[in-house]
Amino acid sequence: MAKWGMVIDLDTCTGCQACTTACTMENSRLPGESWQDVLFYHEGTYPNVKLMWFPRPCMHCENPSCVTVCPTKATYKDPEGGFVLMDYNRCIGCKYCQIACPYGVRFSMDERAFVKPDIRQVFPSGDGRQWNPPYQAPQDDPGRGIGIQPHGVVSKCTFCYHKVSQAPAGVADLDEDVPELKEYVPACVRVCPPKARFFGDLDQPQSTVNRLIADKRGVRLKDETGNKPQVYYLSGGATAAVPSLRSMAAATVPTGPFSPPQRAPDTGAIAAHSADWTADQA
Amino acid sequence: MNIEQTRRLSEKQFAIMFAALCGLLVVGGIVIHNLAVYGHAAFNLDNRGLFWGLPIIVYDYFLLTSTGLAMIAALAIVFNAEEFRPVLKRAVWLALAGLVGGVAVLMLELGHPLRALWAIPFSFAFSSPLYWKVMAVSFYVVSLLLLLWRLLTPGWTMPALRTHALITLVLAFAVTAIAGVVYGSQSFRPFWASGDIPVAFFFESLLGGLAFIYFFSYLGYAFNPALMPDNLRRLFDERMPALLSLAIFIHLLFVLARLTSGLYGNLEGLQVWQHLARSPLLYLELFVGLLLPLVLLMLPATRTRPWAQILASLLVMNALLIARFEYIIGGQLVPLFKGAWAPDLLHYAPSATEWLLLLVAIFLSNAVNAFGEMRLHLGQEA
Repeated sequence: MAKWGMVIDLDTCTGCQACTTACTMENSRLPGESWQDVLFYHEGTYPNVKLMWFPRPCMHCENPSCVTVCPTKATYKDPEGGFVLMDYNRCIGCKYCQIACPYGVRFSMDERAFVKPDIRQVFPSGDGRQWNPPYQAPQDDPGRGIGIQPHGVVSKCTFCYHKVSQAPAGVADLDEDVPELKEYVPACVRVCPPKARFFGDLDQPQSTVNRLIADKRGVRLKDETGNKPQVYYLSGGATAAVPSLRSMAAATVPTGPFSPPQRAPDTGAIAAHSADWTADQA
Repeated sequence: MNIEQTRRLSEKQFAIMFAALCGLLVVGGIVIHNLAVYGHAAFNLDNRGLFWGLPIIVYDYFLLTSTGLAMIAALAIVFNAEEFRPVLKRAVWLALAGLVGGVAVLMLELGHPLRALWAIPFSFAFSSPLYWKVMAVSFYVVSLLLLLWRLLTPGWTMPALRTHALITLVLAFAVTAIAGVVYGSQSFRPFWASGDIPVAFFFESLLGGLAFIYFFSYLGYAFNPALMPDNLRRLFDERMPALLSLAIFIHLLFVLARLTSGLYGNLEGLQVWQHLARSPLLYLELFVGLLLPLVLLMLPATRTRPWAQILASLLVMNALLIARFEYIIGGQLVPLFKGAWAPDLLHYAPSATEWLLLLVAIFLSNAVNAFGEMRLHLGQEA
């Protein structure tokens, strides 16, 4: 049995978002439902400011808090490959998994449309699903959260289970450069132009992912939560780094009498963008 | 009370029930319409990080008030506190009425409420606090119903009900504590995460229970203290002001302790306290909702005045709703890895449909409570 994992080299990643696009197309996701997102933020203050980015899929944790808290076992850890999957037929839409996920990688798409026009209204579904896009991949497995989800449930990245689970048994790495394996490679990995993503079996010591983690000191996001992600990041410090949550946030430097010093970075442009978005929504 | 007064009181209770049912019909109709047309897009929630909004706040508020009422009734029976006899039936019935209102709102909030009825109990998801919460609530309701039935049976005595009351007490405490664990266990949300949240919830429940007993007892007598029996008046003038004051004080301690440490803390997520400290809602809660009632109940000049007791209970009920709002929303205000399109702190204002859900719970609970006042003669024990 494999324990599939991903390595993302932040020094190589260009933030092009091909991974986001490929994931959206492969899995027929809605706008705002970016299972695989690239988060942009900036660090420092003018004139010493750097634009940074950070690719963020579901971490498919070894000890996932979303699985722990689910009251119906609708989200579960697949014993065959270490995937964290959703069973749409068991989910009651309580959203406790969204609350419990430290990485913000779960989505409930019954809320207001993220962008206008509401694509769900443009391509409505007749069978109780969120939408019916004119072009969609054929895979459909509601018990594993694959395919377009029905209303009232939470969705998440599947690590492209429908592809990876078909890989030949015992293979250590799923490399898009190996012709006989490329069909089993997750969409986000396969399309990555600078080859910043690697996918393989973390249980096989000789796998490329294990070698990279060891050689380049792979780190896991928010490891202090105890979730033990199966996604590792490599960063030599040349470009992007694994950020803290605070560096993601736009700045609102507190002005109250109790404000501690150096509260937040200055990211005013992001705040302005967010304010526009909020105003649009209102 | 003579027969004529009893008849008039019954008519007033019917009027309350009728008004509540009319309100429920109108408000519930609008809510159902909105949910049918817009689905959960009728709520001001989104994937930026605010997943639990006013409906969950309302649910938890009514649930914890219910357990508070049950715990007060059960504690009185366990400790043979005969002076609480005039409010026991009302407290137990009110606990059920509040629960009905809260659960109804929860059902309207869930993505698949009917599926939840079987999927949760048969999932055996022992690792989930919500699983245990649902199981505890189920047993709690059964225990409450049985306790009510025994309280309605003539000739009951406190020693005879002691074991049953103890079971109800344990179940009510379990529901309250698990409700605290649901939030307190989220270690990466420092605004929520704390081992003392179940304890804080316990005292909040008791505080809510005491306030509800005050207010709804007065409502049961149409806010006419002259109609209240002597033993109830005695309880309200002697024991209850001290108990309610103590509960307010303990709740205040929890709020101020968390506020102070939160304001000085530099941990990611605790900046929400500074956001709250700039909001008038917090001061409304502290000064009007808690300190003013505390003063009213401690001053000898106002302590035994019915208007002061009614006002104090009403203010406390509102303060607890604000506290529940600030706590549940505050823990979600920092967006988690949402990128440039998420602000530093999220903004949440409940939608009209969400506010109407609060009214649904209020109308439904009041209708059920007035029905109990009419048919079960909740004050008759006095």
